[in-house]
Amino acid sequence: MLLAVEPALWNSLTQYLINGLTFGALIALIALGYTMVYGIVELINFAHGDLFMLGSFASLSLLALLGFGGLGFTATMTDASSFVIAGVLIGCAILSVLFCAGLNFAVEYTVYRPLRNAPKLAPLVSAIGVSFIFMNAGLFWGGPQDVNFPDLISNDNLLGKDAAIRITYKDVLIIAVTVPLMLALTIFVKVTRLGKAMRATAQNPTAASLMGIDTNFVISATFVIGGALAGAASLIYAVSMNTISYQMGFQNGLYAFTAAVLGGIGRIPGAVLGGLIIGLVRSFGSAFVGEMWVNALVFGILIIILIFRPTGLLGTPVREKV
Amino acid sequence: MPALLTVDKLRSGYGPIDVLHDISMTVDAGEIVAMIGANGAGKTTTLMTIAGIVKARAGTITFDGQNLSGAPAHKIVRLGMGQSPEGRKIFPRLTVLENLEMGAFTRTDKPGIADDLEKMFAMFPILRERKGQAGGLLSGGQQQMLAIARALMSRPKLLLLDEPSLGLAPQIVVQIFDVIRDLNKSGMSVLLVEQNARMALRIAHRAYVLETGRVTFTDQASVVLNDPRIRAAYLGE
Ligand SMILES: Nc1ncnc2c1ncn2[C@@H]1O[C@H](COP(=O)(O)OP(=O)(O)O)[C@@H](O)[C@H]1O
Ligand SMILES: [Mg+2]
Repeated sequence: MLLAVEPALWNSLTQYLINGLTFGALIALIALGYTMVYGIVELINFAHGDLFMLGSFASLSLLALLGFGGLGFTATMTDASSFVIAGVLIGCAILSVLFCAGLNFAVEYTVYRPLRNAPKLAPLVSAIGVSFIFMNAGLFWGGPQDVNFPDLISNDNLLGKDAAIRITYKDVLIIAVTVPLMLALTIFVKVTRLGKAMRATAQNPTAASLMGIDTNFVISATFVIGGALAGAASLIYAVSMNTISYQMGFQNGLYAFTAAVLGGIGRIPGAVLGGLIIGLVRSFGSAFVGEMWVNALVFGILIIILIFRPTGLLGTPVREKV
Repeated sequence: MPALLTVDKLRSGYGPIDVLHDISMTVDAGEIVAMIGANGAGKTTTLMTIAGIVKARAGTITFDGQNLSGAPAHKIVRLGMGQSPEGRKIFPRLTVLENLEMGAFTRTDKPGIADDLEKMFAMFPILRERKGQAGGLLSGGQQQMLAIARALMSRPKLLLLDEPSLGLAPQIVVQIFDVIRDLNKSGMSVLLVEQNARMALRIAHRAYVLETGRVTFTDQASVVLNDPRIRAAYLGE
């Protein structure tokens, strides 16, 4: 009996691992936007999750425009050729990335920049305000119910119909988008001129100005990059979950923000690590503890980690000697 | 010949409070000008206003023939002004080498930058030994050397130094002041803010004394150094 159970358990564990890692990678992509912005202007941009939500609605509207269903659409896209679907996906990706990047830029320029030298609470409260405005825009755009997002990608198991472990094209898509984006961002920040200017500005904005860095430009660029990542995340989320709602920004934004804090806010690798941990805790937690305890578990772990490492897992700031 | 830097009736401050009241001063090409004054007199505010970090509220700043009114800090750097700011403001998680590279942010001449890096390492050999280390891990003296070298990497015409000796061991202070003197001998103009008035006045050509945001005394450094009031107030005699 025992021997018969064990492979099944292993299969389940592997499955939870896959589910956790894919969801975690998605959360990590959103978390990068929180952490980069915090790193550079010490602002928790509460509107970031809602920006992600609006990105999904932008994609949905484009799909509706192209005749691929839209609000209330339920059928799968099995009749369209994969060539057409690839084209449509690329179109959605371009739109959602540009839309979120542009919107994030606009919010920084019109709301946060005038408050740059105000007490820290002013931009923070404004960010909460922008979050509500975005959420209301989403409510207006998509209505109060969950909205179906066209099922553009097959749910077939890549390992075969009867395999014990499921890996779908959707899982592959998530990893194929998130991992290269995170690698590209890491390299960008490490080696490019703008990336170095971003790191310098994050570490000491006054000194960065004294080096000839246009810190306002660098801050704008940070919001644009963070927004673009949220846009990419919004599309792969919608395509793989097939349900979007005006509230999805709040829930996922909270996970992403938690991921950023867990990994050490301001640190890019920290956001990735935090996202993966949250994905895994959620996946294993709902299997072994129960769905309704998942959030308590995620935040319980956050609190425990912060008690022992207040700066987060990778947030070991070099002590500055004065 | 007009001065390299001319500050005329400069007023600036923070929030509702004016810190500087009608400050006027000049730095000629090739000079070391010292600015001394008690803690809180407004020395750092003067340097930060000249550099464009703090906005001037009235008065004019002319640098190398250009009016700096309203110019943002990052543009002023390109005109040839470098600063080692108060507290050094090293980028703590960038390596020593990366800190120096940030100093050359405004430049694109790769061979020239490489040359200047070598010069910095020759001037401060410890920076070469530590070039792969995070800036935040250096000692106070090493950070000061890095801050000066980083400012020099932009090839400035005028070097602003804010309290380069603060908190350093005496032999390091001597080393730093030797470097400032050598830089000046090779043509660098320097505006030196110091609480260590004695050391500053010994290497400076001229000096300004700042009290609560006003210039109250200015003369040749040797005259200032021997003025009984200055000796009583700033040299502990
Ligand atoms: N960022 C700031 N905000 C508000 N007040 C400041 C700030 N920096 C300095 N001050 C005030 O301005 C005055 C001059 O300070 P500072 O220029 O730093 O003097 P110094 O460099 O001569 O010690 C002081 O009264 C100080 O409290
Ligand atoms: Mg000072």
